[in-house]
Amino acid sequence: MSHREPDYSATNLAVLDPKYLPVESQPATAHGYPDPITGTAALTVSLLLTACGGSTDTPSMSPSILAERSVIGAEAVQPISDSDASRFLAQASMGANRPDIALVKSLGYARWLDRQFAMPASASRWDWLLSKGLDDPMYKNTEAGFDSCAWRKLISAPDTLRQRITLALSEIIVTAIDGLVGTGWRAFSAAGYLDLLEANAFGNYRTLLGQISTSVPMGQFLTFRGNVKYNPATGALPDENYARELMQLFSIGLVQLNADGTPKLVSGRAQDTYGLDDITGLARIFTGWDIDLAGHPTSTPDFVRRPMIQIPSRHETGASTFLGTTVPARLTGAAALTAALDAIFSHSNVGPFISRQLIQKLVTSNPSPAYVARVASVFNNDGAGVRGNLMAVIKALLLDSEARNNSRSVDASTTATFGKLREPIMRFIGWARAFNASSPSDAWNIGNTSDPATRLGQSPLRSPSVFNFFRPGYVPPNSAIADAAMVAPEFQITNESSVVGYVNFMQRVVSKGIGDVTGDYSSLLPLADNGQSLLNELNIVLAAGQISSNNLTLLRGAIDSMPAGRDNARYNRIHAALTLVLAAPEFIVQK
Amino acid sequence: MKTSAMNASRRAFLKRASALSVAGTATPWALNLAAMAEASAAAADDYKAIVCVFLYGGNDYGNTLIPYDSTNYNAYFNLRPTLAYSRDSLTGTVLRPSAALTDAGGFSRQYALAPELAPLLPIFDAGKMGVLLNVGTLVQPTSKLQYTNKSVALPPKLFSHNDQQSVWQSSAPEGATSGWGGRMGDLFESGNGNTTFTCVNVSGNAVFLSGKEAVQYQISTSGSVPLAGLAHPLFGSAACSAALQTLVSQPRTHLLESEYTRVTRRSIGANTILTTALAGAPAIGTPFPDANNLGDQLKMVAKMISSAKALGAKRQVFFVSMGGFDTHDGLVSVHPGLLKSVADAVAAFYSATVELGVANSVTTFTASDFGRTLSGNNDGSDHGWGSMHFMLGGAVNGNRYYGKPPAVASDGPDDVGQGRLLPTTSVDQYAATLGKWLGASDTDLLSLLPNLANYNASSRYLGFV
Repeated sequence: MSHREPDYSATNLAVLDPKYLPVESQPATAHGYPDPITGTAALTVSLLLTACGGSTDTPSMSPSILAERSVIGAEAVQPISDSDASRFLAQASMGANRPDIALVKSLGYARWLDRQFAMPASASRWDWLLSKGLDDPMYKNTEAGFDSCAWRKLISAPDTLRQRITLALSEIIVTAIDGLVGTGWRAFSAAGYLDLLEANAFGNYRTLLGQISTSVPMGQFLTFRGNVKYNPATGALPDENYARELMQLFSIGLVQLNADGTPKLVSGRAQDTYGLDDITGLARIFTGWDIDLAGHPTSTPDFVRRPMIQIPSRHETGASTFLGTTVPARLTGAAALTAALDAIFSHSNVGPFISRQLIQKLVTSNPSPAYVARVASVFNNDGAGVRGNLMAVIKALLLDSEARNNSRSVDASTTATFGKLREPIMRFIGWARAFNASSPSDAWNIGNTSDPATRLGQSPLRSPSVFNFFRPGYVPPNSAIADAAMVAPEFQITNESSVVGYVNFMQRVVSKGIGDVTGDYSSLLPLADNGQSLLNELNIVLAAGQISSNNLTLLRGAIDSMPAGRDNARYNRIHAALTLVLAAPEFIVQK
Repeated sequence: MKTSAMNASRRAFLKRASALSVAGTATPWALNLAAMAEASAAAADDYKAIVCVFLYGGNDYGNTLIPYDSTNYNAYFNLRPTLAYSRDSLTGTVLRPSAALTDAGGFSRQYALAPELAPLLPIFDAGKMGVLLNVGTLVQPTSKLQYTNKSVALPPKLFSHNDQQSVWQSSAPEGATSGWGGRMGDLFESGNGNTTFTCVNVSGNAVFLSGKEAVQYQISTSGSVPLAGLAHPLFGSAACSAALQTLVSQPRTHLLESEYTRVTRRSIGANTILTTALAGAPAIGTPFPDANNLGDQLKMVAKMISSAKALGAKRQVFFVSMGGFDTHDGLVSVHPGLLKSVADAVAAFYSATVELGVANSVTTFTASDFGRTLSGNNDGSDHGWGSMHFMLGGAVNGNRYYGKPPAVASDGPDDVGQGRLLPTTSVDQYAATLGKWLGASDTDLLSLLPNLANYNASSRYLGFV
């Protein structure tokens, strides 16, 4: 199957048509206005718009989009409440805020996604580093600016879905700035890597595999930059690092999978996808690659985002055999790489392996096999014969009935399992996005938030290894989760220090900001004298309306016991209410 | 699948256990196990702790314990000429054991520590450190022929980092929910004044420390972390602090929420107790190395041990770790520094246990994902299997080797290619020896180390402690 870039034209036409542009001026979108539960005020407008859109955009829709629309056929007739919209944004964005809630309600889920797909990328991390003069040679051996440029995008970039996918990809195809060593310019290498992921976030997974496989940061992190073919004089063999992790983590995984992501069992036993011989075979492909200085010195960072080049004398020219495929002898290094990646990409594991992880990052830790199968089938074929179309995959997984089933969010039975632990950086960014946090000096000096005892226990592109901050198969020991044979990846970075460190961190951040990054609470001030109004607003925007009525009552009693009536007192109420909502188990677990 | 299988056996066990218990109700697994095995540890009046130092990434055994006799040094050099230490650089750290070491062929063997491990040499010389040769994950004793013919069960997912970390710690690949440190905790936690501090992790979460009942407690290098909103009125409001405490520690019905608040509850409860206990602990005068996170972790372990009496702890299992050992490249520039950090931290910790008068009660041991290849790539080494490890403490029968010295070769009798060692001693034997010292019975150990039964009773314990 081909892996050409998908044709976005039909989608783009639909979303750029002025009649689908947002309706921010609609009264229903004024914040705090509609009832969060019934959504009655918004209902009429929402119905009109979705019905209208549903009929007029049909002719321009691609078959795959029509197919997706049928999966969520309910959307055409069901109004979207504020809480529904916020819940969708918890899955599909860096965090909900009032403008996006209004937009989702007016456009519907699918066309909000289309708008995001069509949105131009915001200024790159790389360009931000340049704009701050951080390409001065004095910064060559530092990380100066990296955390800032990463946070800036996560918190302020308008293409919020693209940022969410970029973050998810950075936790599947992992590099970490600590490991981008050997050439200097770590900050640029890390920024360029995130920019590369972002550029492919709505593209094709095969294209992405090709680009990471020649990217300097990956060559540095998984050590195949400078890798040399077998040396008979010293006995030195090719470095196996990238060959192994490319298969184990970035494409097919360790065991053969069914189309629904469950392991293929033979006599009750899972079957390995590869053995040691496949690793040593594939390692021969990743020889001969090195940085491309293009005649320039290393005193500027440009080479860390230029694709690596082949040095033919170092490349293994013999045949390489792995996964039942043989890449023939005497190909150029580039041709051998293409052949090898085509072989890996055609493995039937890739669709379910990557689809399941994307679902886990966005929607739920334990998707049903049927859900995985539906998304994987779109990965395998987007309806137009394209394999690996991430835009179609993202759409399928976010519009799937299992993601959109609202009853999940209020299921309070003892078997309630749907959803995921919000990863700590998403909780922080959720606050920042909800209240339009900004950095007036454009410094975004939030820094490294890795310390679990005092900060978030997680920081962008600072995973301790290629295995990410947490593994998709992590099971919290001695837990009801384990007894239920479920996984909960984000619990891998949850412990006695981190749970408290997080609340302490957020308490400081909501009241004092961090660096010069502060939230804008002007929309909350008018609500602050009334605990119920304040908490309802925070519940909808931050927690998708999922905080239980018992806990809302508990918090309301506490907030209403605080002084009110003056702005100082109102801010204290806002800070306390924010700390409490951000500490609430119903916020911390996204359903 | 694996999980449900374990659950099935756990359920079966609970059934047996409850049949034995007087009331017939399902009492905690560990209590019943202790009762069934008549473990004496619950009533122990002495103190013992084991400390696992895990080197994440797979430590390069070739440049940790270097063959020094000329024949084997030359073999080592020829397999990794660009990575090898010069023989001259090793003269100061040649190990001089109390009994000469001979290999399977009857040839005399010598090893040297990497020069950066020099801080450990006095401990070895004083008889307080042993060296375990070629230990790794196994299901049963396995010959090279059996490996080649695939005629015996092998550990799952060999050479994969995350899985071999898990197999080392728990006997099962990623997704395992209990490890042997935690299962030892199951045996002993009822004898501790406060079960929370039985299995203590200073580095994050590790399956090693999770038992079937015992829950690992995570502490930061600066101690337990107090919840600021409880320590002081939240934005001036005592009512908000009270609401915060209820909110974050309440039982929940949703499984993920329930687990999250359970961890928070444990955190808040432990902080109250630990803050008092640590405040009353003696100051530690032994200097720990600066800018050495492993040293910081071990210093916190020393502090916890110094508070053991106040906490009522009789048996404890600690876990500390350090990353960066996945030396596919830059081995020569990076690995020596890693070893120096380990040696400085571990030597300081041993000195601190001497200072606290508990050296004989604390046994420290190293572990890692796997060993690496002996034949290198051009500037590093790749994932292997068996490796070399160290055991230290006043109770260790040191100044000697345990296990068998492997042939220094690529595709020789003791490796499965490129010097990836086929282990001749299993992690289960390593674990059993430590567990026995803690006071676990033979029956206990067969139960908590599922592969131990595949070894003859006479070979289950290595005798290093």
